Amino acid sequence: MTTTPTQPRPPAVGGRPDGDRRDGRPPGLTKRVLARREARIALLFVLPAFLLFLAFRFGPAIAGVGLSFFDYDISGELDWEGLKNFERMLADPTFWQAFGVTLAYSVLAVPISLALSVAMALGVRRAFRGSRFFRSVFFLPVITSLVLAGAIFKWIFSTDGPWSAIMAPLGLGGSWLNSTVLVIPALVIVGVWSRFGYGMLIVIAALQDVPREHEEAALMDGAGAWNRFRYIVLPRLKPTLFFLAVIETTASFQVFDLVYVMTQGGPAHASYSLVYMLYDQGFKYTDYGYAAAIGVALFVMTLVVALIQRRVIGRQK
Amino acid sequence: MRYTKTITAAAVAATAALALAGCSGSSGGSDGSKKTVTMWIYPVIADEAKHKGFWDETVKAFEAEHKDITVKYEIYPWANRDESLSTAIAAGKGPDLVYLIPDQLSTYQKSIEPMDSYLPSAQKKDILDNVAESVTIDGKLMAAPILTSANALMCDAKAFEAAGVTDYPKTWDDLEKLAPTFKEKGIYVTQYFGSPDVTLNMTFYPVLWQAGGSVYNKDGSKVAFDSTAGTKALSLISDFAAKGYIEKDLISTMPALEQTALATNNVACTWQSGPSDVTSFWGEDAIKILPPLTDEKQVSYGTVGSLAMLKGAKDKEAAGEFAAFATDAENSKKFDLASNFFSPLKSTGELYADDPIQSAIEKTIPTSKVGELQPSARAVMGVLAPEIQAALLGTKTPEQALKDAAAAAQPLIK
Repeated sequence: MTTTPTQPRPPAVGGRPDGDRRDGRPPGLTKRVLARREARIALLFVLPAFLLFLAFRFGPAIAGVGLSFFDYDISGELDWEGLKNFERMLADPTFWQAFGVTLAYSVLAVPISLALSVAMALGVRRAFRGSRFFRSVFFLPVITSLVLAGAIFKWIFSTDGPWSAIMAPLGLGGSWLNSTVLVIPALVIVGVWSRFGYGMLIVIAALQDVPREHEEAALMDGAGAWNRFRYIVLPRLKPTLFFLAVIETTASFQVFDLVYVMTQGGPAHASYSLVYMLYDQGFKYTDYGYAAAIGVALFVMTLVVALIQRRVIGRQK
Repeated sequence: MRYTKTITAAAVAATAALALAGCSGSSGGSDGSKKTVTMWIYPVIADEAKHKGFWDETVKAFEAEHKDITVKYEIYPWANRDESLSTAIAAGKGPDLVYLIPDQLSTYQKSIEPMDSYLPSAQKKDILDNVAESVTIDGKLMAAPILTSANALMCDAKAFEAAGVTDYPKTWDDLEKLAPTFKEKGIYVTQYFGSPDVTLNMTFYPVLWQAGGSVYNKDGSKVAFDSTAGTKALSLISDFAAKGYIEKDLISTMPALEQTALATNNVACTWQSGPSDVTSFWGEDAIKILPPLTDEKQVSYGTVGSLAMLKGAKDKEAAGEFAAFATDAENSKKFDLASNFFSPLKSTGELYADDPIQSAIEKTIPTSKVGELQPSARAVMGVLAPEIQAALLGTKTPEQALKDAAAAAQPLIK
């Protein structure tokens, strides 16, 4: 009978001859302590960004809310106004006009932008000859300067521009930027054009998570394209669509650059958005307290709409 | 409850000054160290190299006479100048001297150090009376004038030739009579920039003044443009818009000048553009300068460019010395000739006797007006301009538009 020479016992799981454990954890350190240490290190990495956020985002936002209770003159005088700026705002027809313009722009721009993002993403999600080219072309407006695009679109929408010629048979010829009714649709067209590429990119990424087998199984069962989209793809896109809806709504509530470049709020205040009003009051008329009150109203408006969207779109998640 | 930041700032400054005095017994400048003056200017001379050349030379000459002062200037773009200036002042980062025009003087008056005690008496007396009046608020000279301008009536000889018209307009009636003739040839009788970012000083106010109206009442306590004169002025322009006598796209947008009818010799006369805008399109020979149109009055818009000192100037004496130097007769004349503007001083005399275009404009300076010197002037323009657009687009009558604008403007007057 042979005996197997006694081999030294392997160290206990996790232990090493040098006293360290295989997982690199020093003896005696529990997972909890380690997690705490890692959290501290992570916090250190996050700290610079957090401090910058505090200094340049959170701080000014709080200061803005504070400023809305004062009348501030650039010479340095601060007069306590209490709620006067808000009372003035609520009684100001221009504020309600700007509120209506912002709402009208958002109501048109957000759904169209979302629908177009999804449609374009579905169109280019599968690799086909030229799909990369189309993805790049659709994304191009996102990285195009709006100032430059605005100048070109001003010509496109002018009386002698191509848009007027295209729309003339429908009785919608003439300069859309000169029309108090059509100026918002004109801005929506440019706004959607400049933003749908971003949404498309996000949706393409989300579509990678939709199992192909599910769609194929549905196809085998005889489901049409719409039903496959409606019952298989769309439910999985809901978190993405919620994210996009919030982002697009926030961006459309803050519409400024397009208005600044193309219409300056005109004609007759028909495209005078809330942020443009804020800009006018703050930087043109140096009425900072009133401008800050408009900013607070805009914040409340965005928050309320985001909460509603969360309830409606994000209900199932 | 009233808080005054300046009091706190003064207290802090006083404490700091006392501490410094206690430590060193001397302060910057008096111990021989160099004082620095900063100045913000805008492209008044369109050619950047020429503009820089002027200020480099002026600063060099000044520093040669004032060894203890260094002048640093920056040429900022015209666009958004109020935004950057007001932000800088609010942040305490404003320059010592800045180029301002009269309506800005009233907007920034709380932040401006009056110039009375910094300009020599002889230089103050040399300022043309109407110019001095335009930079004076509450009896104080708010800035040192360096130029004047006037927006005379400018007509395109080629457009007149194309329409077969030989008589140039002198009154509104003349303009109204000529309009159909020009329209037959596809030429607009005039132009109107309705975009809210174009100052009404250049567009509507001259017509309002010519009709005998004014923006404010005499003591500035109420707006007065919703008057019979105001309605008459706005009716003239909106009638032109309705009949197609002005380019409709310009009511709401401000395209590049080369994209407008003005650049293609399709506008007969304008008071809203000047020779420097059109020379490259029309050629000098086609430019015909005429006195401002007359209705009840003959008046046009003109401005005064000036160097103002901000209250935050670190060394007011040094800044004042440079302002006085840069705006004296010799330097003003050089600056005005280089920028194609006109002198605000009596002693410089006529600058453009040999230049028919400039000389004709120079002659209209006595009939020019600098606009409204009220702190609310720009905010009032902000509510009036959209209402004028509404009248020009026919969505409101001129009376209603002015009435609505007056209702919106009144609360802005503080």
